[in-house]
Amino acid sequence: MYITINPNLCYSCKTCQLVCSFHHTGAFWPSKSSINVFRNPQDGIIEWSINSTCDDCKDEDTPLCIKYCVYGALSFFKEEKKGKKL
Amino acid sequence: MIKEGSINGCLAGKILRINLSNGKIRTEPTAKYAEKTLGGRGVNSLIMINEIKVGTKWNDPKNLLCFGVGSLVGTMAPGTCRTDVSTVNVFSGGKGSANVGGFWGSELKYAGFDNIIIEGKSENPIYLYINDSDIEIRDANLIWGKTIFETENILHQELSDREIKIASIGPAGENRVRGSAVIIDTAKAAGGSGVGCVMGDKKLKAIVVRGHGKINVAEPKRFMREVAKCYQQCKNEPNVIMMRKAPFNKYSNPDYEGWNTNMVVRNGQDDYWEREKRIELMNVKTGVPNIQKGTRACYLCPIGCMPFMEINKGKYKGTKGEGFWINTIMGNACRFDISDPKEVVKSWSLANELGLDGDYIAAGLSWVFELYEKGIITKKDTDGLKLNWGNGDALNKLIKKLAYREGIGDLLADGMVEAAKKIGHNSEYYLIQVKKQPSIEPFRIPKGWSLAVSTSPVAGRHLRGATMGSNTCGPRPRPGNFNVIDYHNQAKGVVWQGKTKELEDNLGICNYVGTWTGANFLTLDNFVELINSGMGITLTKEELMDHYASIGINLEKAFNVLHSNISREDDLPPKRFREEKVKSGPYKGSKVEGTKYNKMLDEYYELCGWDKKTGRQTRTGLEQLGLKKIADKISKYDKLVM
Repeated sequence: MYITINPNLCYSCKTCQLVCSFHHTGAFWPSKSSINVFRNPQDGIIEWSINSTCDDCKDEDTPLCIKYCVYGALSFFKEEKKGKKL
Repeated sequence: MIKEGSINGCLAGKILRINLSNGKIRTEPTAKYAEKTLGGRGVNSLIMINEIKVGTKWNDPKNLLCFGVGSLVGTMAPGTCRTDVSTVNVFSGGKGSANVGGFWGSELKYAGFDNIIIEGKSENPIYLYINDSDIEIRDANLIWGKTIFETENILHQELSDREIKIASIGPAGENRVRGSAVIIDTAKAAGGSGVGCVMGDKKLKAIVVRGHGKINVAEPKRFMREVAKCYQQCKNEPNVIMMRKAPFNKYSNPDYEGWNTNMVVRNGQDDYWEREKRIELMNVKTGVPNIQKGTRACYLCPIGCMPFMEINKGKYKGTKGEGFWINTIMGNACRFDISDPKEVVKSWSLANELGLDGDYIAAGLSWVFELYEKGIITKKDTDGLKLNWGNGDALNKLIKKLAYREGIGDLLADGMVEAAKKIGHNSEYYLIQVKKQPSIEPFRIPKGWSLAVSTSPVAGRHLRGATMGSNTCGPRPRPGNFNVIDYHNQAKGVVWQGKTKELEDNLGICNYVGTWTGANFLTLDNFVELINSGMGITLTKEELMDHYASIGINLEKAFNVLHSNISREDDLPPKRFREEKVKSGPYKGSKVEGTKYNKMLDEYYELCGWDKKTGRQTRTGLEQLGLKKIADKISKYDKLVM
């Protein structure tokens, strides 16, 4: 299972990070999120990472980070060859 | 209505109080204030009116500097990222308030605090480091004198944490330049009322926050159902793409109507900017859009309205940052007649670097340009700068002089009204100000906007009820008149928009994602369901609008009446716009018609429950809102209408 990012589409609103934490804890707790978005407002750099706690939101139809990304920056593939893993 | 002790979600729970005079730090529960006002700006306003004694000036150690994060901030509700910064207004002496987005407010809530109240004044420059419940007052010698960008870089290094969030002031605030801003994440400004000037006066350079905690809601499943609905609405909103590209998408078209209705040109000599200048500034291939390198969003924002700008060549090579917005076109281009895109982008960047309010620069310094044109001041007064219309290089040099109080900058730093008194020669007439704060707003053409800006309790700003956004693209139906140039029935729209803005500031919802720009963004029904499921209370839409949305404006009005004697006369548009007509363009001949404006003002006061003759509050009106103690206080000073 692969979650991929299109860097050109991400606005770094961090909605993915917060909804991920809700999935894990039932609270809004960004430090418990599997996905992390970092942005440097001075040089425009955005960085993304997913740690090993990601469970692909198995109990959901679509991983919540993807469902709530209004910019369409995140995608989900079941086959390895279709996307670069985040 | 909210019952005592009933709130059990959304709030971080505590207000942090820090006295910089004696170093004492304490906390108190937020709930008792949030029960009365819902949170955010409302809590700040309540604390200010209860605790700041009448007669306290902005630079008195007893003045409070209040940071208030909205109640829904930290949850998943879209567009919830806003923080209110309130204090005594350095211009009017009444209520000061500025609102800002970004990532700082949510970080503060994850650290466990809803509000920070700064009391007293430090002897030496300091900064605050809030790392969850660890609160430190630290020496700021390393960062004092540095620009906003330098300050953030040094703090990231010193604290070895790239995830800290910073609210800081630049050299302008340190030098107590009246129009100084508090800047968050290098680019988001709490701009108006001189809040950065007060922070500098307290010798507080920055508030650094890191939070690892959580925000709970009362009914998570029900809350998330509403959140999902809100995100879907935002996705479906036709205006969302326009908002994402607003300055470029719309203003790249020289025939866009906003060019004709929103702009004030050459410090108010006209409200029409020539077509060829619009094209030079906003041409997609060679103008401001060509300097945009991407777009960014604030926390949880489904719109994403912040262009990332970067100048790659020429004398301003290396200038970059996020947040360029329409105000810069209104202010730093049209008001100075500057159509060189790089000069305009640089002037915007300088405001962020030096910690200045962009509107203060635009309205204040364009006045100085006009005085130069009229020969009231000359090159001798400007340290050799030729302040001719269109001279962007001179504007950018003047901005630096203002921030560092160099030469003429020292005269202008104490406020333009004060400067006008010293300059004389009828110079005050040309200064576009409301309640002594310079204002970039259009007054002659959009009538609802004019009324909202003129009556704003925080002096000459549009974020207290200006309706044009919703006339052109906002929610329908809403009360009031959608024809922006008409006087009739505008007051209803202004009062409605002012109330919904109050709710947004108290809950921390961005105005763009709320009730200002699109019919499908968050609505009052969404607000009610988010509050009830999030905070665990049972409010109706009527209670929300009739009671909670009316408290804040009355607290701010009462503060103004008690502290600054603001009267009906101060709720009129600037004199120039009541006397001089628009000279060219489709609205040639427009001005503020005194009789019609006053009728609009009468309607506004009536809808607010205030006395038409004086603009002041009545005992009945205040008591209906449960504000008897405040009525008694105003009565004590003989300023209550019986």
